[in-house]
Amino acid sequence: MSAAALTLRFARRDLNNRFAGSFSGGLWALFQPLLQLAVTSAVFVYVFKARVPGIDAPEYVPFLATALWPWVAFAEAVLRSTTAIQDNAALIGKVALPREILVLASVGTSFAIHIVGFIAIMLVLAVMGHGIHWQHLLPALLLYVPLLALALGLALICAAIQVFVRDLVQALGQLLPLLMFGAPVYYDRAQLPERFRWLLDFNPFTFYAESFRALLLDYGVFSFRHLGVALLGAAITLLIGRWLFHRLDPHFEDFL
Amino acid sequence: MNAPLIVAQGLGKSYPKVHRNSDRLRALGRLLFTGEDPDRISVLRDVNLEIRRGESLGLIGENGAGKSTLLKLITGVLTPTTGSVEVNGEIGALLELGAGFHPEYSGRDNIAMSAALHGLDGTELRKRLPEIIAFADIGRYIDEPVKHYSSGMVVRLGFAVIASLKPDLLVTDEVLAVGDESFQKKCVQWMQDYLAGGGTLILVSHSMYHIQKLCRHACWLRGGEVAMSGDVFDVTQAYLAYHEQKFAPKRNPQLAARGNVEFSVVSIALNDEESERPLLLDMGAALNVRARVHSRDGRVPCLAIGIVRADGTPVYGVSTEMDGCMPQRIGADEYLCELQFSDLALLPGNYSVRVHPLDSEGVRVFDTRERGLTIRGASRELGMVRLAHRWNHAPSGDTAP
Repeated sequence: MSAAALTLRFARRDLNNRFAGSFSGGLWALFQPLLQLAVTSAVFVYVFKARVPGIDAPEYVPFLATALWPWVAFAEAVLRSTTAIQDNAALIGKVALPREILVLASVGTSFAIHIVGFIAIMLVLAVMGHGIHWQHLLPALLLYVPLLALALGLALICAAIQVFVRDLVQALGQLLPLLMFGAPVYYDRAQLPERFRWLLDFNPFTFYAESFRALLLDYGVFSFRHLGVALLGAAITLLIGRWLFHRLDPHFEDFL
Repeated sequence: MNAPLIVAQGLGKSYPKVHRNSDRLRALGRLLFTGEDPDRISVLRDVNLEIRRGESLGLIGENGAGKSTLLKLITGVLTPTTGSVEVNGEIGALLELGAGFHPEYSGRDNIAMSAALHGLDGTELRKRLPEIIAFADIGRYIDEPVKHYSSGMVVRLGFAVIASLKPDLLVTDEVLAVGDESFQKKCVQWMQDYLAGGGTLILVSHSMYHIQKLCRHACWLRGGEVAMSGDVFDVTQAYLAYHEQKFAPKRNPQLAARGNVEFSVVSIALNDEESERPLLLDMGAALNVRARVHSRDGRVPCLAIGIVRADGTPVYGVSTEMDGCMPQRIGADEYLCELQFSDLALLPGNYSVRVHPLDSEGVRVFDTRERGLTIRGASRELGMVRLAHRWNHAPSGDTAP
């Protein structure tokens, strides 16, 4: 059996693990970003009176939704797969298998769930007339490819280090929101003071947030130069992740 | 077909010393940047092993001798610290209980996962599933989560999966011990068929009976090193003798206090040899057992002498009291006894001669002393002794010797 088939089997088991015994089943995963969207947009729109700057600016809800779903997929993939090796210690100690499969399966399930959610919410928003360019949905979905590569690279690094340093997952829980607030997910680049805007370009997620909006809301410009940088960044992260994972892989058993 | 299936050279494994959490961080840094971690505890050193197709190797040794570590290195679960191991075939491994089963899932789900991990695809699995379930024979539990299984049921399930895979090499780690009698028999039977069909086996067990029954070679690990390897009977014999000796220091204080025991064996000589090494005899040779017994109160002891097979199965035993004879007094508190077997009918194999002094009435046993006995020969007869026999339909000249 190929590694791909084994990955699929693990991904299916991961899906089952997440929803087996939970009352709402798989719905919860779809529901969670929806709830997050509802709560945050309520707070931002009605409490902070948030508006997206610009004359042809979209409403706040589709503005947030286009960037929030990819973020949730990314953040959840990294956070959950950080413990992928540690959680499967019993299996690793008894069966010889390529361990990166466990990380890949975990990243894969997070993306699968949230891409489905993303498509659903985009279609709903499009039908309700919130200015979603649903024709651009397919190219927008292609953006998930480098995002997944980036997440997988980070996940491989984190999962390998987590075996040795168990505090990593706690630290990540604190660091990921920082990364989110450091990217234009809840706000737009234009809302930042001029002298801080350049900082956004150092955040790997900035490109994704802005590109999803450029494609689906026609808000901002889709830059192919940035796409090139993002692809390169994702590829390098993935390579580093694989290198580090394989370097530490032979020693996992000693530290689990 | 005779290419080595496994070649291990200079195989060694050591574990990092991790006492505090900062050690983990330091180890991570060392592994990442220098590629090595000097601060380690060695559990296996310089093991050289070559196993050919169709061979069967029993791995024996005390707890913590490195048996499981060696198996994990062979199966690729662990990475060797030094040396290398090369495997040219499919391995089916049953390491410890559970073999990677997920406790929340049903037996059926775990079979599927386990089979997938061993490289079975969906269609192949569907074909073999009934066979696996039949072999495991755990009834309706097959659809219960594994966490509700008894340890025996877990082993049944694990073994059933491995059995259906028919791997080139089967590696099992002390799992038979948990199964009940009939399942053990079933597994042993299956392994015998598997070996007869050209399979290769590495078996870890503390049951010398299983080792001798299934393996032709044995390897004895002691403190992470190969203490002895070779023919299964030689190795198991030496291993058992080693355990006997481990108890000897405990017996020594008793020896000093022998005066307090009413009767104790002073020495045993087999065919006039008093050494501790097993006596080598050809089949049908004569055996003379001479034992000197110390008697605290100078009373006449009764002496029982018996022969047991290496695994402890009694072959024959007799006492002076049964035969109505008395040990000979050779000193104020010492008696001598001499027993002669003129034509020893034992079949080739490893045996022990045991001597027990009993009280004058032949009721209480006071001491046990043992000497190894190896019978050489090339007989294909089965069992332990040659019973006098004759094929009646043939002329008497053609009978067996």
